[in-house]
Amino acid sequence: MEHPKKRPHLSFPVKASMCIMGTGQLLQKQWVKGLLYLACFAAYIIYLAVMGVEDMIGFFTLGTVKGDEWLGIEGDDSIMMLLRGLLAFVITIFFIGIHKSNINDVRESDRKIKAGVALPGFKRACEIFFDKKFYIAALAVPVLGVMIFNILPIVFMILIAFTNYGGDIVPPELVDWIGFDNFKKILALSEIKDTFFKILGWNIAWAVISTLVNYFGGLGLALLLNKKCVRKKAFWRAFPILAYAVPGFITLLGFKFMFSYGGPINYYITLHGGSAIGFLDIDAGMKAKIIGVLVNAWISVPTSMLLATGILSNINHDLYDAASIDGASKWKQFIKITLPFVVFSTTPTLITSFVNNFNNFGIFYFLRGGLYNKGYFLASDTDLLINWLYNLSIDNNYYGIGAAISLIIFLITSTFSMITYVRSNAYKKEDTYR
Amino acid sequence: MSKRKRWISLLLATSLVMTLTGCGGEKKEEKSDEIITLRILENDTAKQEGYLDELLSSFNEAYKDKGIQAVDANMEEYSDLATNGPYGYGPDVIYQANDKLMTYAEDKHILPLTIEDFDCYEYIPEEAWDAFRIQIDGETYCCGIPVNIQEPMLFYREDRMPENWETEWDDDQNGVADFFENWNDLYAYSKYLRDTDTSPNKDSQYGFMSSFNDLYLNGQFLFSYGAYVFAENEDGTLDAQDIGMSAGNAAAGLCGLRQMAALMNEGCIDDTIKMNRYEKIANGTYFCTVSTPDTYSLFIEKLVLAYEGEGMNEAEAAEKATENLKMIELPSLMPADGDLSKDSAEMSEDDWVSTIVMGGVNGYGISSYTEHREACMEFVNFATSYEMIQKRMDMLGIAPTRSDVAEASGGVTDMIFQSLENGNIYLMPSIKAVDQIWVPTHTLLGDIAKDPFREAVGETPKYSSGQDIQTALEKVDKDIYDAIYTLK
Amino acid sequence: MKKKKFWNSSRIDSLFTHIVLIAVCSVFAFPVLWLVMASFSKSGSIYDIEGFFPDTLSLASYKNLFLDTAMYDYPNWLKNTLFVAVFSSLIGTVLVILTAYTISRFEFKSRKLLMKSTLVLSMFPSFMGMTAVYLIMVNFNLINQLWSLILIYVAGAPMGYLVQKGYFDTISSTIYEAARVDGATNFKVFTKITLPLSKPIIVYTALTQFAWPWSDFILPNMLLKNKNLWTVAVGLTHLDETQFTRFAAGSVFIAVPIVVLYFALSKFLVAGVSDGAVKG
Repeated sequence: MEHPKKRPHLSFPVKASMCIMGTGQLLQKQWVKGLLYLACFAAYIIYLAVMGVEDMIGFFTLGTVKGDEWLGIEGDDSIMMLLRGLLAFVITIFFIGIHKSNINDVRESDRKIKAGVALPGFKRACEIFFDKKFYIAALAVPVLGVMIFNILPIVFMILIAFTNYGGDIVPPELVDWIGFDNFKKILALSEIKDTFFKILGWNIAWAVISTLVNYFGGLGLALLLNKKCVRKKAFWRAFPILAYAVPGFITLLGFKFMFSYGGPINYYITLHGGSAIGFLDIDAGMKAKIIGVLVNAWISVPTSMLLATGILSNINHDLYDAASIDGASKWKQFIKITLPFVVFSTTPTLITSFVNNFNNFGIFYFLRGGLYNKGYFLASDTDLLINWLYNLSIDNNYYGIGAAISLIIFLITSTFSMITYVRSNAYKKEDTYR
Repeated sequence: MSKRKRWISLLLATSLVMTLTGCGGEKKEEKSDEIITLRILENDTAKQEGYLDELLSSFNEAYKDKGIQAVDANMEEYSDLATNGPYGYGPDVIYQANDKLMTYAEDKHILPLTIEDFDCYEYIPEEAWDAFRIQIDGETYCCGIPVNIQEPMLFYREDRMPENWETEWDDDQNGVADFFENWNDLYAYSKYLRDTDTSPNKDSQYGFMSSFNDLYLNGQFLFSYGAYVFAENEDGTLDAQDIGMSAGNAAAGLCGLRQMAALMNEGCIDDTIKMNRYEKIANGTYFCTVSTPDTYSLFIEKLVLAYEGEGMNEAEAAEKATENLKMIELPSLMPADGDLSKDSAEMSEDDWVSTIVMGGVNGYGISSYTEHREACMEFVNFATSYEMIQKRMDMLGIAPTRSDVAEASGGVTDMIFQSLENGNIYLMPSIKAVDQIWVPTHTLLGDIAKDPFREAVGETPKYSSGQDIQTALEKVDKDIYDAIYTLK
Repeated sequence: MKKKKFWNSSRIDSLFTHIVLIAVCSVFAFPVLWLVMASFSKSGSIYDIEGFFPDTLSLASYKNLFLDTAMYDYPNWLKNTLFVAVFSSLIGTVLVILTAYTISRFEFKSRKLLMKSTLVLSMFPSFMGMTAVYLIMVNFNLINQLWSLILIYVAGAPMGYLVQKGYFDTISSTIYEAARVDGATNFKVFTKITLPLSKPIIVYTALTQFAWPWSDFILPNMLLKNKNLWTVAVGLTHLDETQFTRFAAGSVFIAVPIVVLYFALSKFLVAGVSDGAVKG
């Protein structure tokens, strides 16, 4: 490792590489490496000249010319400029990373030359890097992919929360940075605040209940299938898997029809003289919520059953034998042995499942979309925060506000899950397994 | 191993691609003598029934020498020009409803047109053109060419008419059954059907059926009574701040809707009737239902299936279905006080208001992002010619806005045309804010439709008086206002 | 001494267990059965079916699905979906396995940070970023291309590495160390030792990576404007509401490959997911 003290004694190749990437390597006669770095450098400079600088400026101005297609004025597309500016910064950060590696590389070679060690050829250097820093080579592509298609969009959305994008301000109108105005608006408007807390309460309840139902439903089913008296386990297991194989949105549309007034369930109710029940209509309230939980269980229990089946097969059976000898009842065995083991082993998946349920968009979008309830602003009483966000930002075009709210939700949920995760045994004791 | 090299070259390639594609977006194509290709977005029905093929091939035949050809844009019929157009993925010519097209016009995604240049100009009434007019900076522009009128229509099977209708259900002896002339008799006949239903569950015969949660199909219960969506300013523009769902006597209208719902089943609360109307008309369970003209072919299709099920061959079934299935306008008189249960015989002329339904005008717009404006205009001109509109009407059963075609065909088509001219169609407002009216009104209409069924199971009804409904309507106005302005 | 009864407690227990099993399994089977039966309905619509099942059955929906392709080109959708799903699965599996293995096996500076940030990232409502994804694809001219879908699926795949990491955690590190002492490179260790040991988890990963693009419709709906490029899920959601039996037939047909795959590989699956979950 380099020490800051050493800085004054920079050798010429290091200085050269600091100014122009790759030149140091060339001076050290590392031809291939040097040329590659040089090419990178050239590519970046060209990029900057052609569009990079412009994009970065655009990021701050978000456009100055308002387009008018009728007059043939090609205007600035603020949102695209925001994105391209963001890309320019990402590319720059990336370039700085390469530049750093370039300097480190020259220094390393410098040190070796001074110590009289022969520099490895390019091929050899690659091999060494690939082996010693295998994790970098292996993670480069996944991390890059996640950066572009997961992180970049999230950063983009966070930035949108600080603009006035949405409502009337959509291209060709120019978008502007407005600082914290969206957040102030949310806090100032009682409709939004009320709706937010109502939905948040239900959302948390929903996430907890459905996570537990799915989890214990799967566990119970797995325990049932695990019983000694059950033969042809594969046959029984086939049914839940069948349910798993049908794509989720198809299942949901099917259930929506089944529970509708014209659906088969109401058909049988009326056939036997009852009056049709509005399972999912405006008054449904609790009924709709319960149906939501059950339908969600129908979709998710198979996966959690698979999971639980596997875990149960890993339990050390000696524990049960010992417990039986001690005279512990079946129930006690379950509470004292099975449950702690299963819960302990699955905390991370439990958190993932909680998060997925918290953000479960499909269930109520398909089952009960297109309703606004009294006392809710642009939402119904079964909508989760994510559905509300969808109503706000996609259906009603309030992207800026939607982004601001999603940022708030995001902060709450991620703090919560992070704390749980870091505190969980599975995380703390992760290393003890290896 | 040269893994690292590969990584780096990959990186270089990526940055190169970025640079290239980045520039690619700004590149403008030079005009050349090559054939101009126009991408046309039509609706699915036009495609399904073969009209689009017909249109494209006749156009391509006619314009072969001029080097213009039109192709199917092959996109989803409702795809949004605002997200596709600016990036070059949109069609050149787009056929959609007036509210949708005018949303694009507000942001100038479609071009203003000199409508006098189009051959169809003089044949199309002002009302239809108005649906495509927009005011920007004090100037009025017209951004679409009207093609056809959409309004809710009544569909029924002629052979399901009561045998004695000429004597029992035609008091004025004008040859048209009373229940197709006024809503009180439609109510009375529906009630008669319900009362005489002898099936064990009382679910084998219904009169008028409609999914009441749909504003578009049931707008007559509001707009006939003086309700409006957005008020009109003096200069003809719309004022989205003034929302009038509760205006006039709208609450009375909804009392009528509530009465009517009691003669249906719970299917009127959600989309059930909207979904099963085709089958239930075909098998005779519903006497009549409400739907738009473009669904005519679906009713026929199901009726043909039903006849085939009875053992007819395809041709016979098709012929009988077309003969038997009727599409007419909704009854033109509604009771002024909203009470459908009153006997029409005892009502005087002043006790009626004329039915005003909600409707729309579908038409062509030209994308601002097209590179061949002139050619697009040629195409639209061609597609709105007498022959093409005539063909469209024959193949799709639409009601054209061209007066000459409407007149020539007479009958229902002409009647729809007249309704538009007489102001009996309340056109969907052509401004963006209209997006916000649907969910609040759908929610309320469904809730009111549910009221009779609450009573049936012993729950307390929510809308037992006109006052309750009035309050609810005012709440809807406020909700719509909030949805539009709260976050602005 | 007690007489041996026919209905001893274990028999009652067994009976009870089977009753519950039958009940639960019918709950799972019934809606699927309903969908299958609806797809065989003769009339083309479910609204004239009295109750759950149609009276007259026919293969018409399936025939229409594959032969009447003027408006709804199902075979073509199927082809597109297969293309996207197969390639997403192949490439995605490689990336997920590689990520999970690396995070499980190597200690490096930003490892914990990486783990925590993936968890936090998954909390973000994904559709909020859709605008950005759309713009990125527009910017790189990747609209209307099946490859761009594969790109996105593959890029997002490593986020779900948790179960796979758990699986690798269970493989004792002594094997690796022995191999390293023998001079094997890390890459060799991965290909020659890890991969052969991880068949179950690879199968599990490949299947989940296949199933996601197979049934997703949000992304393809956004990125594929041209109807010829539609996938099955997009196509089905755009079916006219009166075409329910065709919808059902189409749904049944795309469920079949997944069911078959699951049954064929169910042994691997249980093994894979269980070992992974234990310490995931």
